[in-house]
Amino acid sequence: MNRAAPEPQANMGQPEPRLEARLKVTGEARYASDMPVHNPAFAFLVTSPIAKGAITGIDDKDARTVPGVLGIFTHENTAELKKLSWSQGGGGPTTSIQDLGPKIQHDGQIVAMTVADTFEAAREAAYKLKISYQEEIPSATFDSPGVTQTDAKKPTPKAGNAEAAFNDAPVKLEVAYSTPTQHHNPIELFTTTASWDGDQLTVYEPSQFMYGLKNKTAARLGIKPDKVHAVSPFVGGAFGSKSQQTPRTGLVALAARTLNRPVKLVPTRDQGFTIATYRAETRHAIKIGAAENGKIASFQHDGWEVTSRPDNYSVAGVEDSARMYGFGAVKTAVTTVHADRNTPGFMRSPPVVPYIYALESALDELAVKLKMDPIELRRVNDSNKDATGKEWSSRSLMKCYDQAAEAFGWSRRSAEPGSMRDGNWLIGWGCASAFYPTHIGAATARVKFNADGHARVEVAAHEIGTGVMTVVGQTAAERLGIPLDRVEVVVGDSNYPPVPVAGGSNQTASCCSVVMKACDAIMAKLGGANIKETVGSGPVKDVAASFSKLGVSTVEEYAEFVPDVVKPNAVTSLVDDPIKKLYEGSPSLGGGSHGEKLMYAMGAEFIEVRVHALTGEIRVPRIVGAFAAGRIMNTRTARSQYMGAMIWGVSSALHEATDIDKRNARYVNDNLADYMIPVNADIQQLEVILVPEQDNFINPVGVKGIGELGNVGTAAAVTNAVYHATGVRIRELPVRLEKLLTT
Amino acid sequence: MTDGTPGFSRRNFLATSAASTMSVALLDRGARAAPTPAQANPREPLKLTLKINGRDRELSLDPRTTLLDALREHAGLTGSKKGCDHGQCGACTVMMDGRRILSCLTFAASAQDHDITTIEGLAQTDGTLHPMQQAFIDHDAFQCGYCTPGQIMSAVACVKEGHANSDPDIREYMSGNLCRCAAYPNIVDAIKQAAPQMKEG
Repeated sequence: MNRAAPEPQANMGQPEPRLEARLKVTGEARYASDMPVHNPAFAFLVTSPIAKGAITGIDDKDARTVPGVLGIFTHENTAELKKLSWSQGGGGPTTSIQDLGPKIQHDGQIVAMTVADTFEAAREAAYKLKISYQEEIPSATFDSPGVTQTDAKKPTPKAGNAEAAFNDAPVKLEVAYSTPTQHHNPIELFTTTASWDGDQLTVYEPSQFMYGLKNKTAARLGIKPDKVHAVSPFVGGAFGSKSQQTPRTGLVALAARTLNRPVKLVPTRDQGFTIATYRAETRHAIKIGAAENGKIASFQHDGWEVTSRPDNYSVAGVEDSARMYGFGAVKTAVTTVHADRNTPGFMRSPPVVPYIYALESALDELAVKLKMDPIELRRVNDSNKDATGKEWSSRSLMKCYDQAAEAFGWSRRSAEPGSMRDGNWLIGWGCASAFYPTHIGAATARVKFNADGHARVEVAAHEIGTGVMTVVGQTAAERLGIPLDRVEVVVGDSNYPPVPVAGGSNQTASCCSVVMKACDAIMAKLGGANIKETVGSGPVKDVAASFSKLGVSTVEEYAEFVPDVVKPNAVTSLVDDPIKKLYEGSPSLGGGSHGEKLMYAMGAEFIEVRVHALTGEIRVPRIVGAFAAGRIMNTRTARSQYMGAMIWGVSSALHEATDIDKRNARYVNDNLADYMIPVNADIQQLEVILVPEQDNFINPVGVKGIGELGNVGTAAAVTNAVYHATGVRIRELPVRLEKLLTT
Repeated sequence: MTDGTPGFSRRNFLATSAASTMSVALLDRGARAAPTPAQANPREPLKLTLKINGRDRELSLDPRTTLLDALREHAGLTGSKKGCDHGQCGACTVMMDGRRILSCLTFAASAQDHDITTIEGLAQTDGTLHPMQQAFIDHDAFQCGYCTPGQIMSAVACVKEGHANSDPDIREYMSGNLCRCAAYPNIVDAIKQAAPQMKEG
């Protein structure tokens, strides 16, 4: 055992190494653009240099003279691509802006694609393509002239009379925060390879939703879904960016069909900033009214979020922020601000990253105002139900705080800002809560169990680094009573049974629930509970005996699992068959605050910052997080996800921001040198504590989902620590040293 | 070099130059592969031999082809990854003569006459993993795995360079390889496990 493989505690699975580990360290793991295709042509995108206006002319004379050029695709010859209707979630397209022109609706919109025998020739042709534009003045972001506002049309919790309770409260806090534009920037680029065999299309594309990719590619091309095979064995980071259909996929497929040759597109890093989605900038206004003892009588949270002109995307995390403590009364609202930008989309913990940052920052400010320890403020407001009266399925928040505080040494903190100093370094300690709604969706799987004691699990799941193959394998091994090394797990292929989008941290719960169901059905066929016990504790030859009794060498079971939260009935007010929808590329996800009970994973994060008194340089020498999320399937992969997520949280506080040129509505730092993310030297000590928790209400496997928990609240813990170090409260992320020097 | 005959002038240049630089190697091979008339076309494919993982590979490439694209698209070695094509992420890191380089910032032509080692060439031929590969597994030093080949190549170089003697040193000398899943603490632990084993082995 090393610290990457924590000893399992109650309700935790073994820290098995990832099933695909060897493939990943030898370079044999195939990502979409690694898949071999015969004699591919290479594509290069051309994107719009203006954010608003129209294409007035395309001169491809020079581009076509480049030797090896096979085709140039623009709005003039791609009209046959069908427009997909946008709606948030539901496995649909990333944006309504799908045409290559003539109308230009955001900077970096795809306007052309060149295809040539070589990548180099395609790139040369792309640079030689002359496109002229009629340009209009774009609106970039909040406060830009010309933006329009609409209601986000999302659930906005209200309970009691929050305004009156605020007015009556002896302690009042009114404060505003903002979070910046951020881009996922997975290290793998947004590649697509399309290859036709007659009327049968194979698409190799990194995907968080195989059946969305299959069905929406078919819809874009106007062909039947059974003509599309989507393949994505491994995904090189996604974080939400690969969950929906981007306009590029249909374009590459069309080019391959037109040229009668496989076409491979590897877009550039900067193109990735505009051809996929991102986390939009947000603003928050919070009002809290509290008693002298810290009990919060009124919580009001208004959010504003930027989106594109046509699409009303929003994350509306007031649904979460308003419910996390026992507030007396709540009132919330969310407004979308439409600008000339690409449409935002899901980015790791979409609603809670900005909204819980605001909540947890405000609580720290309230604690300062009350001269109260910030942990005690949370304890005073800890509650078994929210302001609407809805109860939690389980809630281990204060257990997380207690364990993390102990490990961090919180009792040694001196509360006065600037009072902990090491030479020229001002030391600050801060903490904040992490929350993430527990989601689950309808899923299917096929399991084959052979008389020789080997099993194969087929699920169209998505190995984006979460370890889904491993936890699915562990589930099958446990239910079939065989060692893990006898289980083969295959994922990332639309020929396997569908599971939901790998989003909302549902994948482990959904996949393991359905695989468990399939395995249990196999064991039932093999002779019921008795056999299962024998197999689980005895030699594998007992399995062979029951196979021979049945007279078969393989038992195969296909299972469909529909959790209560997505069952069509009066409670959920759903009508469609979730399995049918899933096959059609539309995942049904439920849970969080929408079920009978509030279902959330929780955690407490502690951060030490050191701020240099003279230069304002900020370092993060220590990070401690304790998390409770129901059953932990594998302590190794769980710890790694929490670790990576907490670093994401630090990044969100100190590093990441996409800068926007407001005159041109254009992203400025669209590369990995200027878009800051942590490097190895930015991270020092990091400790993850897995807090045991059992919750039998949430789903059959009792899993809450963890991939998006660890980066929630972290940014607030950092800014709270920066305040403790310096006495300066930064309310606009990210915290950069210049903000400390100028205040 | 001013007589207007590119092939001739390049040979002339070579004949009068004692320096053995990479650009000389490029011109040398280019000139030999395609005699005078074809030299007028800068896009004429270069025939070149790359020594990759101890094996000579004959390739015919557009002169603008990077080593990374040569490996991935022409030599069938897709272990090295493209994450930025700008030398900003490190996913394409390979060894050239035992030194770590960014294959996306290296022209394939300039890699001639050098020993190239990629992630595919790190394990022994019997499949035994390099200590660094095993250490990455033991310490779960990756999640999605996309940056991993570059991380491992850099990690091996980091040890060989003598930059793996302390945690801060490892962190500093591994900071050219971005990991968006942020497995950084595990990467440091993996290098600490493999470093003494590499010295023994």
